[in-house]
Amino acid sequence: MSSMKLLSLPIMLLFIGMLSLSFGAYDLSVKEITWTLFQGGKFDFVINQYRLPRLILAVGVGAGLGLSGALVQGVIRNPLASPDLMGISAGAGLAATTLLVTYPDAPLFMLPVSAVIGGLAAAAIILAIAYNSRPTPTRLALIGIAISAFLSSAIDFLMIINPIEINTAMVWLTGSLWGRNWTQVPFIWCTLAIMLPFAFWLAWRLDVMGLGEESATSLGINPSKVQLLALLSAVILASISVSVCGTISFVGLLAPHLARMLFGHNHKALLPSAALLGALMVLIADILARSIHPPLELPAGVLTALIGAPYFVFLLQRYKGW
Amino acid sequence: MTTYGTLLNHSLNIIHSEKIMNLPYFKNILIYFMLIAFVIAGYCFSLLAWSSFPLNMEQVCGYLFAFNGNSIEQQILATIRAPRVFTGLMIGANLAVAGVLMQGLTRNPLASPSVLGINAGAACLMALSSIGVVLISDLPSILVASLGGIVSGALVMLLGGFFSARPHPLKLVLAGVAINALLVSITRTAVILADDKAYSVINWLAGSISNSDWQQWQNLWPTSLIGLLMAIYVARNLNLLALGNDLAIGLGLSISMTRLVSCLSIVLLSASSVAVAGPIGFVGMLVPHIAKKLVGHNFFLLIPASALLGAALITWADAFSRSIAFPAETPVGVITALIGTPCFVLLAIKSKQS
Repeated sequence: MSSMKLLSLPIMLLFIGMLSLSFGAYDLSVKEITWTLFQGGKFDFVINQYRLPRLILAVGVGAGLGLSGALVQGVIRNPLASPDLMGISAGAGLAATTLLVTYPDAPLFMLPVSAVIGGLAAAAIILAIAYNSRPTPTRLALIGIAISAFLSSAIDFLMIINPIEINTAMVWLTGSLWGRNWTQVPFIWCTLAIMLPFAFWLAWRLDVMGLGEESATSLGINPSKVQLLALLSAVILASISVSVCGTISFVGLLAPHLARMLFGHNHKALLPSAALLGALMVLIADILARSIHPPLELPAGVLTALIGAPYFVFLLQRYKGW
Repeated sequence: MTTYGTLLNHSLNIIHSEKIMNLPYFKNILIYFMLIAFVIAGYCFSLLAWSSFPLNMEQVCGYLFAFNGNSIEQQILATIRAPRVFTGLMIGANLAVAGVLMQGLTRNPLASPSVLGINAGAACLMALSSIGVVLISDLPSILVASLGGIVSGALVMLLGGFFSARPHPLKLVLAGVAINALLVSITRTAVILADDKAYSVINWLAGSISNSDWQQWQNLWPTSLIGLLMAIYVARNLNLLALGNDLAIGLGLSISMTRLVSCLSIVLLSASSVAVAGPIGFVGMLVPHIAKKLVGHNFFLLIPASALLGAALITWADAFSRSIAFPAETPVGVITALIGTPCFVLLAIKSKQS
């Protein structure tokens, strides 16, 4: 039953991917799309150079964010934890924008590298605070949001004192897939290719960790090692996603929650389904962003926030551990 | 033995209270003098500093005491710099006092118009009205901003459980953060869909007073004055409220009345600021904490001290914001966010577990 449900997600992804190729400033039919994909033709640029890379990037980025959120929530056992609420995304974004502003001619591969460094630094800061003051889950969320706010105000500052094109600014302020092309595809998909198997390796260990640290140790698991590895991979996934398309907020929070509702708490099903749901969310947000008012384009991050923020309020209402 | 002990305690108390009576009285006067000096220094500095025209103190004196319409420098001071500085002073005072009221009302050290979504709500409705949404685009801007502030503030209070039996401070702040995120994305969507000259709106959304003129000052000061007077009026009630709801009711305080007047004052103060300058964040959260360190927790002293401190902070921040990319302008809201957010982080870490 569960595997059937899990299978339905990729099918939905395929279907919505098709929609993503057909919608836009110029609507295309399914026949035209398949023709163009295999043979090229007059829509070659629109499909193969513009919509297809965006589709692939949206799926990759969403999967990265969803997986990262599931890992963070699995380790921290905090329903309000997610890479963007903990300042990891903002840290990665700040490092990436700093690089863009100070060395505009830096080689392309430096962007993900600097994003990962920024994400790791932000994660280190919040973990140091968490380690020292042992906050409750809600307080940790608040501290994360505060750090996030600081880092995003720094991004704001960089964007405003270096006036640039509005779409570029929107990418880094709210997250958008505007102007992304094939060059960014290898970064996110290579990361996913490494991290997905690794997440499966972590899956049953995270399940065992759920029994409590003592039981986990007696079952032959080193809890701090698993925690560290899972957090590290979560930070890398989130940072690389941010380096591709900015901070698309609330996906890392929403996807794991949705996955848990649909597939329960078993990490073997939870991790892949969170990744798939994240991919679906970013893809749908990107489609809407492009097709609400073409040719104008909204940032995808704005649309995810429109769904994510009310859901966060809903979580607060339901949360009982004050 | 016990009587002797209580007597000793009592006399110690008297000595202690005399100390409180005399020394801080002097201290408070000194602090007020320093704050006023700080404001005046900020005023002069902001009038003069980082101008494309060389200005000096002599011209400021000339402008203030013997205005000469033929001097280009004095004309610049009178028509460009002075309204800007006055607007900055007023907005700083507004936001700081709104912050004091919110922190007193919710007894929450993190509360402020920007954190609890009032600024974002006002800004959101302003943006919607400026792109011509029916009904609200015909109203005057101050009314639109107030409406947005009221709606979003009420929503945050409701969702954050402020009216529940046991309000939790963190829940309120987290609800504020979420509503903020929602409103900011609605604002951005509206602005981008309206036209693609959105860059100026990014500037406005960061909070800037660089375009203020005397017209805006005319719109700003009456509402601000009413708001500030209302704030002073509820100071005594807030002092009582600080003792806890039950004790305050026992002392004859009408809680709902206090809440109503302070909320009205908060909305007037922050909405008038947002209508002129966009949402300038973190002044309302930061200033009350500094003022509390300086003059203590009595709202009669706290409100004027915060007003002065907020006014000074905005004018200094505005002056320095001009220096960053001179001769281009940097929105002052970016500077206050850069100063204010680290303090937000510190407060979030330090604020007591309830």
